Amino acid sequence: MASTDGPTDYYDVLGVERTASDVEIKRAYRKLAQQHHPDINTDPGAEERFKQVGEANDVLSNPELRKKYDAFGADFRRVPDDVDPEEWAAAQRMREGAGRPPPGWQSDVDDQAFQDFLQDLLREQGRARETWGPIPGADQRASISLSLDDAFHGGRRSLTLGGPTGERSIEVNIPAGVTDGQTIRLPGKGGRGTDGAPAGDLYLHVTIEPDPRYRVSGRDIELDLPLTPWEAALGATVPVEGPGGTTRVKVAPGTSTDKRLRIRGKGIPTKGKEGDLYARVKIVVPDAPSSEEQDLYSRLAEISDFQPRSNR
Amino acid sequence: MSPSPVPAERIEFDSFARVCDLHPELLERFVTLGLLEASADDEGRRWFDRSQVAAVARIRRLRSGLRLSYSAIAVVAPLIDHLDELEVELRRLEAEHHVVIRRWPCTPVEKRS
Repeated sequence: MASTDGPTDYYDVLGVERTASDVEIKRAYRKLAQQHHPDINTDPGAEERFKQVGEANDVLSNPELRKKYDAFGADFRRVPDDVDPEEWAAAQRMREGAGRPPPGWQSDVDDQAFQDFLQDLLREQGRARETWGPIPGADQRASISLSLDDAFHGGRRSLTLGGPTGERSIEVNIPAGVTDGQTIRLPGKGGRGTDGAPAGDLYLHVTIEPDPRYRVSGRDIELDLPLTPWEAALGATVPVEGPGGTTRVKVAPGTSTDKRLRIRGKGIPTKGKEGDLYARVKIVVPDAPSSEEQDLYSRLAEISDFQPRSNR
Repeated sequence: MSPSPVPAERIEFDSFARVCDLHPELLERFVTLGLLEASADDEGRRWFDRSQVAAVARIRRLRSGLRLSYSAIAVVAPLIDHLDELEVELRRLEAEHHVVIRRWPCTPVEKRS
């Protein structure tokens, strides 16, 4: 490796060997550029990759620049033409050791200023290729996975997007009541425009994480409502804990397993149309009934003529 | 936020060229190639839908980013639109079935050994 402190190795970016031929570099570049072009690949990380791939290609497809890059690594643009690679490497080692810049080239350029300069240069090169002004950014797509509670209540959520070097964090306002498969549009949070042109939009596709307690279908939520045999037989008013809080529900006498009790408007609170909450009855019996309970069940068995399997 | 004026739904040919910073001849070429669609009114004036401004931006990105010719873009752009529709449908189905289906490659290049 020519340099270990550079941001990203151009050969790595293109996925080619250091000995790669011009044709191989060109082929790798074309392939990656096609894959990561922001209009073809709407993943937010693609934009950064596309930029890196272009930068790597600009250098490696230019024989002069490539030679310098091979010799000097990431610092190659800062090294004057007449510097001998060996001397430079030695000076570099000294600088690292002594903590001060080696003689022979501008060492007083501060990094930010240099980065700005480079960016201007690249921008000008871009302009030279095309005589176009600002180009608005492309739209991007990403997925966000929300718990049912998040989807239910909404709120702010921090989301990290982007590729290997282009990580960015954005604050997203999740509206209360988003549903599985819904898309949230974030204007101006997509691909960057060039030269001050507006950015594209970011489309967030919402997935609601499965929750063992609930089954979600669109705006409706279903949950299991465990009942004792006597509650189911005699009727009762029981609390149902949905994502929006606890509601008391009246269970009619003679309610069997799998009967669905509808609790209107307690599903996902999408604006304008709330979903419903369904409590699916599930009759449960104690694992280890006490002897008194056993007696009572036996009694019940003796006197009851109920035959649930007779009409099968 | 102060209310911004509601943008017109459609833009007349010359204004569109100005808005997009395009030479009218190039705009004409885009129409001929089918890259943009213009509708004509009774007086023979041609109009573009507002959404076509974004289409021009995409033409530029494809041109400058991949060095595609305009006629190549005319082939590629509808395919991208179609891909986009499929992508939306795919995400909808993924949500419905709680699965993740393979995406267009966007993983970093594999490290050389």
